Amino acid sequence: MQRNDAAFARLAKAIEPIEPEDCASSSRLKSRIYSALMRQAASAGPLRSLAETKAEGHGLCLWEELVRISPLPAGYKRLNLCHLCHARVLGEAMENAPLPWKDCPYAKFQKG
Amino acid sequence: MAAVLDGDRKATADFVALYSDPIYRYLRSRLFPRAELAEDLLQDVFLAAWSALSHFRGDAPLKLWLLGIARHKVEEHYRGRLRDSELYDNEEEPGPALEPDLDERLDQERLEQKMRAVLAALPEAYRTVLLWRYWEARSTREIAEMTNKTEKAIERLLARARAHFKLRWNHE
Repeated sequence: MQRNDAAFARLAKAIEPIEPEDCASSSRLKSRIYSALMRQAASAGPLRSLAETKAEGHGLCLWEELVRISPLPAGYKRLNLCHLCHARVLGEAMENAPLPWKDCPYAKFQKG
Repeated sequence: MAAVLDGDRKATADFVALYSDPIYRYLRSRLFPRAELAEDLLQDVFLAAWSALSHFRGDAPLKLWLLGIARHKVEEHYRGRLRDSELYDNEEEPGPALEPDLDERLDQERLEQKMRAVLAALPEAYRTVLLWRYWEARSTREIAEMTNKTEKAIERLLARARAHFKLRWNHE
């Protein structure tokens, strides 16, 4: 019994039961997780403002930048804009989705 | 991590991009061959991590902390599978569980293929208890406590699982 136990422990240590190509999660999955986290964050309170994000040194995508410089009330700049963006729909649905926008999170996941 | 908690979009995207692959790899190996389950649990891990992020003290690397959450999710799944199972108590013993030979003629890639084929072909309760005991390195006592079964019942299940594994291993 103990010999069997030790043999199986050795076997488990020597061999992982997954294929090497299974190492990476798909960009669709990363997109869905990002969307879920942003929904969760937005439901907990206002998001960090786009101006603060930019001040931290992060790039903003074209649409975020337009909202940042627009004369909209400050509260609008803390909304979950990605939820309204078609890049989210494409990113969640497709691998290698055509997302040419620089600094779009969903495009970042496509690049792996 | 403060930026993620503060709802920073870019920091959250970096968080997902940086940690999703190592956590996914762990989940795939422990939930083999259920790829769809690994996908569901990966999302659960990130959502649970976000909720608990304010408690992360930073005294261990974030990846290890996330792997701890992933392990908890995997064991929750194992617990559900074994707790609800009848543990095949009425099934006839398939013979003594002998030591599986690590056939030295097979290279590592072939061994891995063989392992996947054998594990995938086992009944789910057998595969689950083998993964839990040997890949997660939990004792039979721990498994028994987590599933509200007796240690004896888990040992019997393991003996049958090993015997089935051995039979299939030798016929692959």
